[in-house]
Amino acid sequence: MRRRVSRRGFLKMTGAGLAGAAVLGAAGCGGGSATSGSSSGDMWEQFAGTTLNFVSENTSPTSAIAANLNGFKELTGINVNVLQLELGALVQKVALDIGSGEGAYQVVYADPYQIMAPYHEALADLTEFNADENLPSIPKGVDDFIPTQLAAAGRFENEENLYALPYDCPTMIWMYRKDLFDKYGDQMSQDLGFDPTPSPSVTWEQYFQIANWFNENQDEVPYGTGHQARQYDSLMCDFSNILWSYGGDYFNSKGVGSLGSADPGPCTLDEPEALEAAAFYKKLVSIAHPGSVSWDWNATDEAFRTGQIAMAPNWHEFAAVDQDPAESTIVGKIGYSPLPKGPVRNANMWGGTGVGINGASPIDEQRAAWLFLVWATSPETMLMGMKSDVGGGTPTRGSLYELPEVKKAMEPPSNMPNLLTYDAVSEAWKPENIGLRPKIQSWNECDTALYTEVSKMLAGLKSPEEAMTTAKQYFDDAQTRVENLAARPRGVA
Amino acid sequence: MAATQTEGRSSSSKNASGGGGLSLEMKMLLPVLLLLAILSVFPFFYIIWMSLNTVSLINGISFEFAGLSNWTRMFTDVIVGAAWVRAALYFVATVGLEMVLGVAIALLVHELVWGKNLVLSLLLLPMFMAPVIVGLLGRFLTDSSYGLYAFVLRELGIFEKDILGTSSSALTAVILMDVWEWTPLIILIVLAGLASVNQYVIEAAKVDGANYVERLRYIVAPSIAGVVVVALLVRSMDAIRYFDIITVTTNGGPGNTTKIIPIRLYETAFRFFDLGYAAAIGLGMLVFSILVANVFVRILDSKGLAK
Repeated sequence: MRRRVSRRGFLKMTGAGLAGAAVLGAAGCGGGSATSGSSSGDMWEQFAGTTLNFVSENTSPTSAIAANLNGFKELTGINVNVLQLELGALVQKVALDIGSGEGAYQVVYADPYQIMAPYHEALADLTEFNADENLPSIPKGVDDFIPTQLAAAGRFENEENLYALPYDCPTMIWMYRKDLFDKYGDQMSQDLGFDPTPSPSVTWEQYFQIANWFNENQDEVPYGTGHQARQYDSLMCDFSNILWSYGGDYFNSKGVGSLGSADPGPCTLDEPEALEAAAFYKKLVSIAHPGSVSWDWNATDEAFRTGQIAMAPNWHEFAAVDQDPAESTIVGKIGYSPLPKGPVRNANMWGGTGVGINGASPIDEQRAAWLFLVWATSPETMLMGMKSDVGGGTPTRGSLYELPEVKKAMEPPSNMPNLLTYDAVSEAWKPENIGLRPKIQSWNECDTALYTEVSKMLAGLKSPEEAMTTAKQYFDDAQTRVENLAARPRGVA
Repeated sequence: MAATQTEGRSSSSKNASGGGGLSLEMKMLLPVLLLLAILSVFPFFYIIWMSLNTVSLINGISFEFAGLSNWTRMFTDVIVGAAWVRAALYFVATVGLEMVLGVAIALLVHELVWGKNLVLSLLLLPMFMAPVIVGLLGRFLTDSSYGLYAFVLRELGIFEKDILGTSSSALTAVILMDVWEWTPLIILIVLAGLASVNQYVIEAAKVDGANYVERLRYIVAPSIAGVVVVALLVRSMDAIRYFDIITVTTNGGPGNTTKIIPIRLYETAFRFFDLGYAAAIGLGMLVFSILVANVFVRILDSKGLAK
């Protein structure tokens, strides 16, 4: 059942009322902010009549918000037009809007790598709005956001500025057919010589052996594993998990994946760990479902939930559709674990994003947009999103995971099926396990170079060494070019 | 009234003969020409200007004059060069297959006595689908898990790998998707040409004992040559710009084996936002298109069909 957010209800939740503070602060998870959500009714209504444009990727959390905008309208009197696009189209629209200086999209789904890193100077610094006494502050403070996600989604290069509030947090985990592991686990254990039960202590080499075992010893699923190895972003995401687990990385710069960097130094894809990871990834995909080389994440999940593969690394937010009887043939048969570990560590690609404010929009519209940001990332709205029929994300706020109804939903049967992955993702979000791709201004070009070269490797057109060496060259060239562009003074056409 | 009309015609004639000022016709065309200039000529020259600059959206839009460096880069860029080679291969394969199949099918349909309209309607259907839909259809039919074509090829032992994910088959697959969609256009154009062939000449040839091949070679082919060249021109212009099906199916992969020049241009412009360089690539495509068009126009001209 969808809950409409009344202004009174929202005021309670933001801490103006004791009830909200009692529920959300019970487990001591309220964070350190002293002014946890100070606000009054006038603050929310001061921009009544304004119309905002929110441009977002076509994700579940945005679908949930778009379906429940009446709550925000009732609270503020502000109209919000939500435009949902495929990520590439979103990046185009935002880049062109920013470049033109029009500010037509006041609220921006600020992908950390494709929007925030190159265009952070065009985004408003949210700390100013949060500190403004005439505007509502972030409910429960910024510390309520999961720390690794706040840094990755909200900041660039330093911890002073805040460009976006964490909005969603898809994370790659190990999804597997629990029923098949239950059925064949003993036999697998005997044949392979180790416990194959998915867990973060299983290595990638063991994952390979498990997948191979499925290929050769049963016929309930055609293949053991599937991968999102299409020449696209998806391939970069899938490969990166293994790259990091083997101790390799794109750059050696500390914090390049978290806060990001304008000057990450030379690319390190030609180092031994990266080469070893590439060789292993080629070996792994060679025994995967053959469709893997033309699958992105959607197609991989489609194969998983229609019984084509026994397991796959994929985004945890697919749990909702995998547990939907109308879409899936494996409801109730799925298990979740952090990804296997490599010789050096566990690594789980984080794909989250924040929402930011376009600094080119008129200041009043920016302030109105701030109200929307506070509302959209509030505990109340995130909880509503989890329960929404069209939504399905998991919250970026730590406090929400302490709520009794949320804890209950972590076990089946669940009315918030994405929470069934909580044990896995909470482990994945730890600083030592999270996988963060470089937040650099040339990431679009580097990403393209990486997935193109890895695709050539998988197609047998290049060896792992050739692919990684070529990718490194493209990374360095692209970064040099962009650094030179960024160093130039701002000009007008 | 007659005097006024006479005066009007005289006035027009005086202007047409250079008597001063714009003719009436030119005055009437001027608003449309101005509009076309704004919509076409200004952006054209703007793109040329962009190609001579380094254009960036980082930290706000900026132009820095770079001379011919974008053009130099284009001619030395290995990825762009490879994309052109693939584009040429794609161009020859698609246009070649479409012309051969289109002409052959048109000749067969033209000979039908019964059911011609029904057959023609069915043959033309693919042409009315949006290219994106054709790409999606192709993707579904070649999917390793549930695609019909993938299943048949696998069961027959002809091809067992993923069609769009294997470098040896991906380009062939997207070529065939394009051929499926646009061969009907060639059929339609050639049929129109066949309809204008003088039937009396055909009958006379039959009476004289000419067989089908001889009639085709000496009567039909010369009659429809101009129409075939027009069809070739139309498809050639499209084939150079081909984008939708590849984007939806392979995104230029696997391993760039289907990344033809329009895909690289899109990537450069709207993924990397390297707009100056993208302008140079785009203008390169325009030059190529003009050269190809000129070749066909000269052929048409040699047949006296260009006027």
